[in-house]
Amino acid sequence: MSRVRLGRWLLVIPMGLLAVATIYPLLFTANVAMKTRREYILDRFSLADSLRFENISTAWTSIGMGRYTANSILVVGCSVFLLLLFGSMAGFALSQLRFRGSTALFIGCLAALFIPFQVIMVPLARVMADSGLVDTYPGLILAYVAQFLPFTVFLMTSYYKTIPAEIVDAARIDGNTVYGVYRRIMLPLGAPALLSVGILNTLFCWNDVLISLLLMPSADHRTLMVGVTSLRGQYSEDIPTFASGVLIAAIPVLAVYLFLQRQIADGVAAGSTKG
Amino acid sequence: MTIGKSLPSVRSASAGRAGGVPPSAPPPRDRAVSRRAAGGRRAEQLAPFVLVAPAVLILVLLRLWPLLLGVNFSFTGDGDRDGAMVGFANYVDLLHDPLFQQALRNVGLLVLLLPVAVAIPGLLATFIYLRVPGHRFYRSVYFFPAVLSPVIVGAIFNLLLSFDGPVNVVLSSVGIGPVDWLGDPDVAMFAVVGVHVWATFGMALVVFLAGFATLDAALLDAARVDGASLAQVIWHVIIPSLSRTIQFVFVTTMIGMLTSMFGLLYVMTSGGPEGSTYLPEYYIWIQQGQMNRPALASAASTVLFVIMLVVGLLQLKLLRRAGRED
Repeated sequence: MSRVRLGRWLLVIPMGLLAVATIYPLLFTANVAMKTRREYILDRFSLADSLRFENISTAWTSIGMGRYTANSILVVGCSVFLLLLFGSMAGFALSQLRFRGSTALFIGCLAALFIPFQVIMVPLARVMADSGLVDTYPGLILAYVAQFLPFTVFLMTSYYKTIPAEIVDAARIDGNTVYGVYRRIMLPLGAPALLSVGILNTLFCWNDVLISLLLMPSADHRTLMVGVTSLRGQYSEDIPTFASGVLIAAIPVLAVYLFLQRQIADGVAAGSTKG
Repeated sequence: MTIGKSLPSVRSASAGRAGGVPPSAPPPRDRAVSRRAAGGRRAEQLAPFVLVAPAVLILVLLRLWPLLLGVNFSFTGDGDRDGAMVGFANYVDLLHDPLFQQALRNVGLLVLLLPVAVAIPGLLATFIYLRVPGHRFYRSVYFFPAVLSPVIVGAIFNLLLSFDGPVNVVLSSVGIGPVDWLGDPDVAMFAVVGVHVWATFGMALVVFLAGFATLDAALLDAARVDGASLAQVIWHVIIPSLSRTIQFVFVTTMIGMLTSMFGLLYVMTSGGPEGSTYLPEYYIWIQQGQMNRPALASAASTVLFVIMLVVGLLQLKLLRRAGRED
């Protein structure tokens, strides 16, 4: 027994080192963002001598990280709202209502889950160009909705299946229409699933670079992640400003993670166990 | 219709609906309700279709239609032969393109590295499940990089792995010469894959832990009482009981390697040096976006899709066979 105890304590060393390796890169970046160029060149590891936010404000204003952040918030906000709306509507219909073709539809959704974006990106770019949606906010929002809808419908359907049919029946006997049941029963009852699916979709859309790069070519419309990629060429000499840009892009995700860690992990786990 | 017949199995709970009344006709309680029900009956019957319509429309127009279009597209020409059918010419071009060959070789490398990428989170999840001191802390720390965008991860490691960057500073202080992590064709791909594993092992870890939650603790206790070592417990108890989870992690990790490394490649190496870090997804992007050869890119897309299907099916088969032998 004591040997097992000792073994466990020995494991703490590699696991602790791995934990450091997991957090340190971001701490390093945050530290560099506070330094002057001179400080960085002299010593890469020393702590910045003061909390200096000049680099960050340079990145925010003159590189346009502020503009890119606003673009990202607009696009991600609209996309997630539409995903949750359409996903919960379809999830309700597929789980609680009987109609011709519902099984086929659900299987179709599952199949769509396995079509990666890279496989359809060329023709999608052409469809978008033909309909005049390239380099527009609605175009990018539609592309995000299409990309993450199968996952959303799948999880919402699985969640709504756990709601007993009696609840729906009772609401109908009280004189609710199908739409009334959706609005008054399904939306409130689905809140936990909507929250965790919403957080995951927010992360997916916020973190995307390929779709945005493909459909939003002009500098004015760049989302934040594309903005970060554009830092690379321009600021490869000015490391502290580069690090500031990266930090600006990472902070919102960090904040979400610190507050909603549980929901994120639960969402990932739900996606895996229901698969 | 067969679809109609198979419906009851989907919603078996509907058998228990009050008095077997069809959902579209709730029992009227008074005249007003009955009049409204009669008037709204048609609308009510259409309701399920209205509810699924936005999702179906978007999926058909922006996923299914492009998929078909793309396969068709890959048999047409580029440039001045735009729209003309060229048979398998694009596929022949692909196989002769050294960059695409390199991309395929790199896919092979990913397949070889896959067991490592699955074993690391698997082992860590085992330790956390066995309650290593501080397991809650590790769980939340390890998951953290998984929420960061590949672009941010790539940018951070660009900084860390640059030739005069901090990693080489540390290495040279212990006497190991500077390694050109992202500039040496023999090293760059390993560096990028390493960063990808760093960024995603937390995701697989959470999936493994969800699998562990379904594990029968009595089995572990029994093995313990019989004096089994940790390695024996893992091999004879944990792996067989978690075969479904392991299977799932294998498939999702491979899909992740094939479809979510674009951000890293784009930021860290741009496919270089000397094309050594090309993957099919990056090749598709370059041909579509930079080289203006969308038909060739479509052919590469189709090849990528087939690779994913084959890899997925092969893994399922192998793992199923391994499961049967146990």
